[in-house]
Amino acid sequence: MKMDLQEKLKILADSAKYDASCSSSGSNRKNKEGIGNVATSGICHSFASDGRCISLLKILFTNCCIFDCKYCLNRKSNNIKRAIFTPEEVCTITLNFYRRNYIEGLFLSSGIIKSPDYTMELLIKTITLLRKKYHFNGYIHAKAIPGANQKLLHILGFLVDRLSANIELPTENGLKLLAPNKNSRNVASIMEYVKQNQNKKYVPAGQSTQVIIGATKESDLEIMKKSEDMYQNYHLKRVFYSAYIPINKDNLLPTLEHPPLVRENRLYQADWLLRFYKFKVKDLLDSKNPNFNILVDPKTDWALRHLKEFPKEINTCSYYDLLKIPGIGVKSAKRIFASRKKITLHFEDLKKMGVVLKRAKYFILCSGKYFTKREWFKKEFIEKNIILEEHLLKKKNYEQLRLF
Amino acid sequence: MNNIYIYDGDFISLLNTIIYLIKKNRKPDNIKSFEYTPTLLDNTINLSIPRNEKIIEKIRRQFGKYVLRILYCIFLSEEENKELILFYLFKNTLKYQNQVLYYRNLRCVSEGMRIANYVIHESHKMKGFLRFKELENHILYAEMEPTNNVLFLVSSHFQKRLKNEYWMIKDTKRRIISIYDKKNFYIVAEEELKSRITKESKDEKKIEELWKLFYKTIGITERKNDRCRMNFMPKKYWKFMTEMRDEL
Repeated sequence: MKMDLQEKLKILADSAKYDASCSSSGSNRKNKEGIGNVATSGICHSFASDGRCISLLKILFTNCCIFDCKYCLNRKSNNIKRAIFTPEEVCTITLNFYRRNYIEGLFLSSGIIKSPDYTMELLIKTITLLRKKYHFNGYIHAKAIPGANQKLLHILGFLVDRLSANIELPTENGLKLLAPNKNSRNVASIMEYVKQNQNKKYVPAGQSTQVIIGATKESDLEIMKKSEDMYQNYHLKRVFYSAYIPINKDNLLPTLEHPPLVRENRLYQADWLLRFYKFKVKDLLDSKNPNFNILVDPKTDWALRHLKEFPKEINTCSYYDLLKIPGIGVKSAKRIFASRKKITLHFEDLKKMGVVLKRAKYFILCSGKYFTKREWFKKEFIEKNIILEEHLLKKKNYEQLRLF
Repeated sequence: MNNIYIYDGDFISLLNTIIYLIKKNRKPDNIKSFEYTPTLLDNTINLSIPRNEKIIEKIRRQFGKYVLRILYCIFLSEEENKELILFYLFKNTLKYQNQVLYYRNLRCVSEGMRIANYVIHESHKMKGFLRFKELENHILYAEMEPTNNVLFLVSSHFQKRLKNEYWMIKDTKRRIISIYDKKNFYIVAEEELKSRITKESKDEKKIEELWKLFYKTIGITERKNDRCRMNFMPKKYWKFMTEMRDEL
């Protein structure tokens, strides 16, 4: 029986939705004689009911899969409806959505059908059609299929803006347990190849990966260590963290009431600290504290444990010291750094520069002044106040939420 | 009495007026476009300064592209006293040249940057949230209702992106339409183009249904978060968004 486009899209978007990545930034493909270009900053076109950005048409080419990964909706042993697009169908949907400004481009992934090589060839065929026949210059993110021939990886890389290969689980043991058909060496060899060849023409927006959080017992320390390694060794643009959602029943999988969303959030915050704030994993976590504090964010947590380095004088401390202050981000640090060459900064100036003063005030001096009596600069006082503020904020949010 | 200086309503004439006032060392209580209705206490002064378009190039050369962009974005905002803020900001620009925006302790700089960023953010949002429909004559047509006057900024984005399409974007609040002829875009009053806005093409509904289906499917039920969605995508934009209209 022939399936119509509506039904295919429903099945193949539904099976693709657990991939966290949807960013469309970092490339700058120009519009030659065709349709579309890439905005370097990336553009969000909509936001789904879960609050995640929709930037790309995120679909699987097919949800047929020869693998049987325990956590995955599309595993071979699941009895679900299967569908497969034709390359022309993917092009039709992509182009029609793009013309109407619904999307910034395409994120094409796939279950493994027949063999990794065969699957990769299908992806290449589809994307070639889109780029060459329809002259589509929008953003394309494709999944590199682990275990496929390197020649195919070479061809695919010249067609897309971003490639990704998901490691899914941070340790070899976890992978053996839950994804027996997967091999971490295959993913590593893709990352290595892309790193070696990446340039303005080959995977211009770089590569990314995804780790599932909470399906196995790894600590935050193990996960962050793995991320740090990958950022260093393979120059990844992003590691995405995806809170485990129990889709399948299996006695190897944990039974969770809610996906670990706060933990996921802490990992993202820490990930930012690694990439933009010059932090190292060993600053944030160690074997005595292998998991992040659920009550406060990793940067504040770090500052509270290193209070002897504070308070920092806003008008004289170095740029990197500015970055270490909770409540000051990269943008506001740059603004402070540029402005203080001209003027002496006071508390009220900081607010205008986008500093989150309610957080930063505990950790800074402005021309020698602390925001309150200096003798209150004590761990107990600061910690109590910050946790209280967080709590009140959550309560307020909750009350506002109930109005709807 | 308040001395209110009147300008023609466009960016160039405002700059000409501001420069004239600074040269003559006059201190305006406010500067307003010709559409302004004066109150009893207002003394309106129309200077009828000859239009000098070279001013744009001059500012770009002397103070840089970034300063010019910020000045223009402030002008596009709906801020009540934007002209007065621009007056003081420009005065300080003459003093501090291309370094002026670092002086965040000055009110005109911090306020000006706040307003300019609001305009830039909104135009970025519109680049994502704008939804085209295909009309019977194959023209792509979109409507929007942004708080600030971002039609020019949004149009220059689509000029590059949808280079080989005919399109029109209408700002329903300001009743202006930007129309693109595969070379340039022109911003005109709504009345001039009314006849071009025809019925939707016959496939339009099908594509819209496909998009709505995708939108519904891609959200993860276990992670539902209305508040987060609303933060990123405020309700005021939903009216013109294909996938959101039904939820209003």
